[in-house]
Amino acid sequence: MDKKVAIVGIGTTGFRATTPDVSYRELTYEAATKAYLDAGIEPQEVGAFVATSEDFLEGYSISDEYSPDQLGAVLKSIHTVPGDFIQGLGNGVMLIMSGYADIVVVQGMSKASNMVTKGDLLTFAADPFAWRPLQESPHAIAAMEMNRFLYESGNTIEQCAQVVVKNRRNALLNPRAALGAALELEDVLNADPVAEPLCRLDIAQHADGAVVCVLASQEKVGSLKGNPIWVRDVSWATETNALDSRTWGEAVYMQLAAEKAYRMAGIRTPAKEIDFAELNDEYSYKELQHIEALGLCAWGESGKLSEIGWSERTGEFPVNTAGGCLGCGHLFELDGGQKVLDAVLQLRGQAGELQLKTANTAVAAGWRGVPTTTGAVVVLGN
Amino acid sequence: MALIERLQNRPDATYWPGKIPMTYIYTAGRAGEAFFKKLRDSGKFIGARCEDCDLTYFPPRIFCECCFNRIEGNWVNVKNRGVVHTLTICHETYDDKPKETPSIVAFIRFEDTDGGMFHRLGDVDYEDCYIGMPVEAVLKPKTQRKGGILDIKHFRPL
Ligand SMILES: [Zn+2]
Repeated sequence: MDKKVAIVGIGTTGFRATTPDVSYRELTYEAATKAYLDAGIEPQEVGAFVATSEDFLEGYSISDEYSPDQLGAVLKSIHTVPGDFIQGLGNGVMLIMSGYADIVVVQGMSKASNMVTKGDLLTFAADPFAWRPLQESPHAIAAMEMNRFLYESGNTIEQCAQVVVKNRRNALLNPRAALGAALELEDVLNADPVAEPLCRLDIAQHADGAVVCVLASQEKVGSLKGNPIWVRDVSWATETNALDSRTWGEAVYMQLAAEKAYRMAGIRTPAKEIDFAELNDEYSYKELQHIEALGLCAWGESGKLSEIGWSERTGEFPVNTAGGCLGCGHLFELDGGQKVLDAVLQLRGQAGELQLKTANTAVAAGWRGVPTTTGAVVVLGN
Repeated sequence: MALIERLQNRPDATYWPGKIPMTYIYTAGRAGEAFFKKLRDSGKFIGARCEDCDLTYFPPRIFCECCFNRIEGNWVNVKNRGVVHTLTICHETYDDKPKETPSIVAFIRFEDTDGGMFHRLGDVDYEDCYIGMPVEAVLKPKTQRKGGILDIKHFRPL
């Protein structure tokens, strides 16, 4: 699939630890307003809307019924995808490819600061027979994944800490990021342990924010202003939530999603044909695991490459140029939205101080977090 | 048009607290009944075998996730022996509070199966634990077993 669907507008609130001055609907409203301005359209011109949300994250049952107003979608076609933003983007692409609409809007939002008992939320996501009765922290599942990943791949705890240093530093130059910081390797390695080998700074902190994206068909792009970024392909995959049959060392879900996206986009050697990646780094090791799953380097090489600056903004293959989850914040289902946003800004040459010299093709990848094994991948080009 | 004015004073931010007071029961299902009854009544483990895929599910299921065959009743006895596939020591509770005593948790791959179990390790220091360590389940006495995962106290090194 090539040059069929483009991102013609994108808007965001940016990401902050708390947003007491606005409601969750106003967060979306702000991002939507900016996206429509960016695309040069009015919401009346939009043929269909895709929202991404989860009832328990939003604190409502049947929360999808609350999504039209703040997008200008009242009396329009709208449906909600309970998944990552990139899965929502995939739904938007399908609406255009199938001829249902020429212009489609995709929305994602995190109001994590509204959730007072986030631990209960994740415990309620655990299997009620095999897992929930033990009442262990969801971070324990991530820590066990990390241990097995390091054991099998030969990557190290220090190399994971290097990811934290890089992403928090990248976020320093990102005006939209909540968590920019100049850390040293020792700061990360000496932070309090949460579930070993994960320490406090290996885990992305929660943030609020919204991203709204306007998609248009190839025919429609010509009549719109601006700078289209083409969706070369989008794909997603889920392994299993069963702890007894899932893979602990590799991110198989992301590998499958990437292989399909690359195949349909005609990409054979991703590290050569793609210029940079924005991918899920909700835990430090996830960046390394996802780099390998996305086929951007050989199995077990991501840590060594990170050590020599390969994934820095000035490196051979920049990863999470705007700070990723560690630098922008953990945004739940908006994870892929932050990744798409920063990829689009780079591809348009609008990334400000973060701008890469070469940015023609990008891969963005979201993960739905513990306890899921769902990954979503989109290849974008200018 | 975006937001023209924003709230200037934090105390002016109004909010309402809300709780989700919902209660559920989850039925164990056919495979779950068979597994937990066996554990409760005889202190033994069973898995389910898919001959076509050469896979032994543990805990058992009534269908194979690979070929989608019905494998209900293909129960096989599983030995109370496994190895630590991966592990961690957890310093926080599920709701982010420090634990008085950190817990060692592990995924244990059971011998001759393709499955395993998420549980705690006991009677051992974390420093002495490793991936590949052989372990066995320590069960609660029969009178205290209720037919659930907590009928297992913990796993200990063999
Ligand atoms: Zn089978």
